[in-house]
Amino acid sequence: MSIEPITGRYLTVEIEGAPRRIYFEEAGQGRPVVCLHTAGADTRQWRHLMNDAGITASHRLIAFDMPWHGKSLPPEGFETQEYLLTTEAYIETVLAVIDGLGLDRPVLAGCSMGGRIALQLAALHADKFSGFIAIEASDFQPAWYDIDWFHRPDAHGGEMGAALVSANISPYAPDAERWNTLWMFMQSGPGVFRGDLSFYTRDDSLIPRLPTINTAKTPVHIIVGAYDLTCTPEDAARTAKAIPGATLAVMDELGHFPMSEHPEGFRPFFVEALEKMPKSTSAAA
Amino acid sequence: MLDTFKQIQTSLEATPHLLRLGRLFSETVLIDVDGAEYYLTFEKGRIVSIAEGPSRKTPWRFALRTDAEALDKFWQARPEPGFHDIFGLVKIGRGRIDGDILSLVKNLRFFKDVLTLARAKEELAA
Repeated sequence: MSIEPITGRYLTVEIEGAPRRIYFEEAGQGRPVVCLHTAGADTRQWRHLMNDAGITASHRLIAFDMPWHGKSLPPEGFETQEYLLTTEAYIETVLAVIDGLGLDRPVLAGCSMGGRIALQLAALHADKFSGFIAIEASDFQPAWYDIDWFHRPDAHGGEMGAALVSANISPYAPDAERWNTLWMFMQSGPGVFRGDLSFYTRDDSLIPRLPTINTAKTPVHIIVGAYDLTCTPEDAARTAKAIPGATLAVMDELGHFPMSEHPEGFRPFFVEALEKMPKSTSAAA
Repeated sequence: MLDTFKQIQTSLEATPHLLRLGRLFSETVLIDVDGAEYYLTFEKGRIVSIAEGPSRKTPWRFALRTDAEALDKFWQARPEPGFHDIFGLVKIGRGRIDGDILSLVKNLRFFKDVLTLARAKEELAA
């Protein structure tokens, strides 16, 4: 028998003028690190790192389910709404959670769409953070598939979404974690993956903002997997080049969901990224 | 190449979970390898025939067009990036998908898992 050190609670904040009940998990103590999940998934992607005593000894890892994801319910009246995530709502959500939890300039670590919004926050709200770890993150890519595939009454969006994103998982990933990763996509609510991808594949507002990011005040470290078909190493390198002072690491044997698909392979890259962040918020001020 | 598709057909018969996943899939799929055509006809998840083309009389639901070298890399135990998935082949310009793509996407896990039945087995422990 074993009980994990991860604890989960709920936080209610106001987003877009209405309450959102948000589920968050945390583990560890020390420098706060807010961890953002990918499109169509949830906080469970971060569970391996949150159970890593070597990391949580000096870091308080906090992950939350975006509204509509995992254990964060959609807003009241969702049944008549079309879920389409926007940059503005995403930023408002992250800032509301940080304020709601009273976090003082945490490190922000986000993967995929979480990495994209991390870079947006680096450009627009850097003062709220001490540094940014942008995983599988880039300036912009249009979809290489029809995102409407993932919300149809005649097919299971979760089954299709999982089968599609499996293209982004490395053959080096252990089978158990490959399928654990895909399970989250299979469980995603109707239209949620599509709504996330709407943000990810249609909003290119980050591109002109990249040169304004001040990495001298808040470092930006980008990590990308060679097996990522969605955000390729070329996409990540182009993005890093556009941010003065940003650093980049390429993981030769990993894909688009590194912390989830191959936690052991990802760990050294995440530790390296944490080491690039300011040791304390006061040191970064 | 024909032998490889026959190997896939045999392996599929011995893979009950894939037969279950494919139980609603009854279509003919064209695999075009360097211009050589192979028609794989599925009936409720089973491959019931493999016919070599060319054929203008055989209707197919969707097609995967690629080359032998790309497929050889695809079937390695640990393919290089891009060669690890049929959409990867498309992304790196070594494959094309034609026809009813929605039919493919609705049955994507089944079809991809069937194709990888020819992938070399190797102990993948890191």
